[in-house]
Amino acid sequence: MAQIVFAAGAPHAPAIIGLFDKAPDDSKKVVTDTYAAISKELRAARPDVVIMFANDHITNSRITFYPDFLIGSAPRHSGPHEWFQEWIGCRDYVAKGSPEVAKSLFAGMTRRGVRMVVREENLNFDDNISVPVTMTDLDKTDIALVPVLQNCTVPPIPSAERCFEIGHALRDFIEKDLPGDMRVALFGSGGLSHEPGGAKYYKIDEDFDRRFLQLCAGGDHKALLKEITLERMEEAGTGGTAEVLSWYPVMAAIGECKGRSFGYTGWPSFRCGIGGVIWDLNTKQ
Amino acid sequence: MAWEKFNPNLAAHDLVQDMKWNPEIRKEFKDNEKAVLDRYALLPEERKAIEERNFRKLYDLGMHPYLGGQLSRFIWGNDAGKGAVEASNKLVASLQGHSRDIPKS
Repeated sequence: MAQIVFAAGAPHAPAIIGLFDKAPDDSKKVVTDTYAAISKELRAARPDVVIMFANDHITNSRITFYPDFLIGSAPRHSGPHEWFQEWIGCRDYVAKGSPEVAKSLFAGMTRRGVRMVVREENLNFDDNISVPVTMTDLDKTDIALVPVLQNCTVPPIPSAERCFEIGHALRDFIEKDLPGDMRVALFGSGGLSHEPGGAKYYKIDEDFDRRFLQLCAGGDHKALLKEITLERMEEAGTGGTAEVLSWYPVMAAIGECKGRSFGYTGWPSFRCGIGGVIWDLNTKQ
Repeated sequence: MAWEKFNPNLAAHDLVQDMKWNPEIRKEFKDNEKAVLDRYALLPEERKAIEERNFRKLYDLGMHPYLGGQLSRFIWGNDAGKGAVEASNKLVASLQGHSRDIPKS
């Protein structure tokens, strides 16, 4: 049975790269500590593949023809997409892909009643994949990347409960469909509170963010689903905060585990609350 | 913005997508915005709002704010070193009708 060996969730706001040098020291420390821990523990877990749930920011499909889950099955994933290079300010990368795992995921989720779509060409990656890949230097490892770009911004958005169902199907897929000796990492890329392009572009909802991190680290899924509804996410920043839904399939797949976070910052110029969680998989209740 | 106003049929969405995916259209938009806008089935008020940089109006017509943010970067700049700050500031000022919430730094 393939094993989940690592699970984490973290934001990918481009300003944590582009405006890092201008940030106050305590905000810099949160960014550095969070991604350093993820980077170190990801390597220590020795995964063969990382399945990365990240938000699609309407970068691959027209708004009139919009998939909820888009899997990238290219043999290599390069980025960032040309227009986003200047905006993010990160280096270029080419990460190893896994067409086999990607196509198996597509077939496995289809069989389990989850509509995903798959594309063989290099997807357009903006901050969603580019920030976590370059912040962890994933492309400098042998770990294969399978991106799953999730609709968290074009209504109707798959609900929190649906994202949990999808995570349960994901766990079943990993356990039953992948090669028995495969080691799998899961990563949720997105959030925390922000309102990209909205009137509250510079407003960060610290109360929401701190409570969300606390609930994620607490491992009580019922409490999380009860309190952090899609409505509450929208209230904390329309069209952006719901990106935290990319953490939900990860949490559902690993079960109710405790997690650790590495500080929090709501520095307004990041235009996004910043804090991540790594779950301790041996604490499953 | 409230989603009840969201109108996925607006041609402005396609305009932003095409500029994002095609540097030539982006350049043409800078050089001859009218010629680019002429190719899209924009509603008269939608086109006027783009020409007047009136994002409040565009959002009231139903533009998705994420694509609105990208439109502001085609107009006012996309640079990471400054966090695309000019675009964000002008966008927020347009939406709010004031610039009170914009950080000084």
